[in-house]
Amino acid sequence: MSIRHHIGDDTLMAYVNGTLVEPLSVVVATHLAICPRCRKSVALMEDLAGLLLMEAETAPLSPAEEAMADIIPSSASPDPGNDDQPLIKPDYSNTGVPMPLAERMPATLDDIPWRTLIPGISHYPLPKSGSQKNKGTLRLLKIAPGKTMPEHSHTGQELTLILRGSYIDDLGRFQTGDIADLDSETLHQPVADTAEDCICLIATDAPLKFSGFFSRLLQPVFGI
Amino acid sequence: MTSPGGIRQDRTGARALPDDLDRDLTAVGLDQDATAFRRLFANLAPRLKFFLIKGGMIESAAEDVMQETMMKVWRKAEMFDSSKASASTWIYTIARNVKIDRLRKEHRPEPDPEDPCFVAEDPETGEQAVSRKQDRERIQKAMALLPPEQMTIIKMSFFEERSHGEIAEMLEIPLGTVKSRIRLAFGKIRAELEDL
Repeated sequence: MSIRHHIGDDTLMAYVNGTLVEPLSVVVATHLAICPRCRKSVALMEDLAGLLLMEAETAPLSPAEEAMADIIPSSASPDPGNDDQPLIKPDYSNTGVPMPLAERMPATLDDIPWRTLIPGISHYPLPKSGSQKNKGTLRLLKIAPGKTMPEHSHTGQELTLILRGSYIDDLGRFQTGDIADLDSETLHQPVADTAEDCICLIATDAPLKFSGFFSRLLQPVFGI
Repeated sequence: MTSPGGIRQDRTGARALPDDLDRDLTAVGLDQDATAFRRLFANLAPRLKFFLIKGGMIESAAEDVMQETMMKVWRKAEMFDSSKASASTWIYTIARNVKIDRLRKEHRPEPDPEDPCFVAEDPETGEQAVSRKQDRERIQKAMALLPPEQMTIIKMSFFEERSHGEIAEMLEIPLGTVKSRIRLAFGKIRAELEDL
């Protein structure tokens, strides 16, 4: 896989400092799983944050906090296990897409219970987790060969990761593994340009804005 | 203009030496060295607490996150590999994840290197096999060359953990300007790092 479109540094930085909403972070992390170049950028940004931490001022510690320096080594036993991951080993076999997308998929890409939006275009909303459930959307979108997404722009940010097939729009050709990192100034109209369905993972932090009259009628249908 | 704050250049005497931190964290991982842990704690716990309060947490929450982070540092130190990351970077990422878990009640989405779909890096070219220490020095040098308006935004992002939207509001500049300054800054840092 040769990835030509990467995540913007501004988006990566929001992912690194933890301010990116969860749906966008899922798309970022899924792309990172297949893109060593973007992982290198993340490592650079984390190094930078670590340097800033070392140069930080100090806040006074209470006596109880000071005591933790002695209490921790005498009371806690080392446990190198990674408790950021679930205890049960994740099942990698069933979806054919990278984590963390895989754990949010109900089935493989071939068996998604697609819901038709308009002829040739269907979607499947993915569940969100955590306390930010109202922030942003995460969905799979399938565009049939030759079909065009209605022209739209965004009120916020939209991140699209191509999982299968490809599309073309004003910004270029996007193939499997590529990311389109779009903000509110971009107006685009993707067309699936091969004989294969184009399947994407799309996250937004705010609703899309459709531009044409008929497209505007779709707004409530897409609800995105 | 809001002060980016958080970094005082006048107290360099109190600053932790990166190599000492790496050595101490390695000792904690290999030998459960309690003395090395105490040194790490003395050096980093007050900075972490400051960093978390600066990032908008109330003091009691910052204390909790700091303590949970230091607890994890002790328990997970065996996983630290000084050839892959420096101690400050490793501890930063732990603190950030503890904070996200608490604030949002969710795990931060991250790639999983054990995943069969994970694409590993090409076998390292000679050029990339630079020591962590050199890397750190070069990043510091590159940061020092950034124009103040770009550095301000980077500090606000990492230090105060502000979102791009918050930064735009605080500095009274358009969101697009915040984003483009970030892109420019990292473009420069990368160019500086590649320019050996």
